[in-house]
Amino acid sequence: MPDTMPQNGAYMVAAYIDAAVILLVYALFLFRRSRRSS
Amino acid sequence: MTLAQRGRWITGVALLLLAGVYVRALVFTPEEIHQGLAQKIFYVHAPAAWSAMLSMGLVGLSSILFLLVKDPRYDRFAAASAEVGTAFSVVMLTTGPIWGKTIWGTWWTWDARLTLTLFLFFLFLGYLLLRGAVTEPGLRARYSAVLGICGLVLLPFIHLSVYLFRTLHPAPIVLKPSAPSLPPEMLVTLLCSFGVFTLLYVGFVTLRYAIGDGGERDA
Repeated sequence: MPDTMPQNGAYMVAAYIDAAVILLVYALFLFRRSRRSS
Repeated sequence: MTLAQRGRWITGVALLLLAGVYVRALVFTPEEIHQGLAQKIFYVHAPAAWSAMLSMGLVGLSSILFLLVKDPRYDRFAAASAEVGTAFSVVMLTTGPIWGKTIWGTWWTWDARLTLTLFLFFLFLGYLLLRGAVTEPGLRARYSAVLGICGLVLLPFIHLSVYLFRTLHPAPIVLKPSAPSLPPEMLVTLLCSFGVFTLLYVGFVTLRYAIGDGGERDA
């Protein structure tokens, strides 16, 4: 077992924000396009 | 209820469940001792990779069906799945390097798994560019079906690349012949995330399919 846990929480936060932004932006893009086409 | 409304509902529910997965992963799932908090990137990176591969798999299958029965709905589904797969590929290809930087010490390395997943992304892009470039609908459907089948052929190589080549990328933890090698709390979070990303794929594809050929030129 390592003496100290790696301090890399910022990388985790960055990855979670990155995934959320990409998926939300794409969802909004599809919502808008579907409203316009209907 | 129209197809577009159904797609909006499924996507909305999937996004709410995704928020639930975030809370479970970030608050209620234990930290891995060796990798620390960065290991939790796994709960978004692996399901995004799964959804990207699922997208390309279904692009390939519906392309085969299109070439066999010439039903334009299969072509339309393949186009919808390719666009959605591109979005999931971007999630996979951006979260992976963030994880790699802190664990491997480098954002990117040209090993077999990473290079093949980048190639998958370029196949998605090529597929979408091809559809935008060919104006005649019949020709567009046939050309893109061939490219879609090429993508399907690539998938087993991506999955098996960690066994076939020396690579930094870890071997599969769940999709392997033996039992999953994860503690139960982590496994439940991962499986929940896989389920939510799959539902998100279904919602996105339903919406995109309902939108139809928007953006593509017809002759």
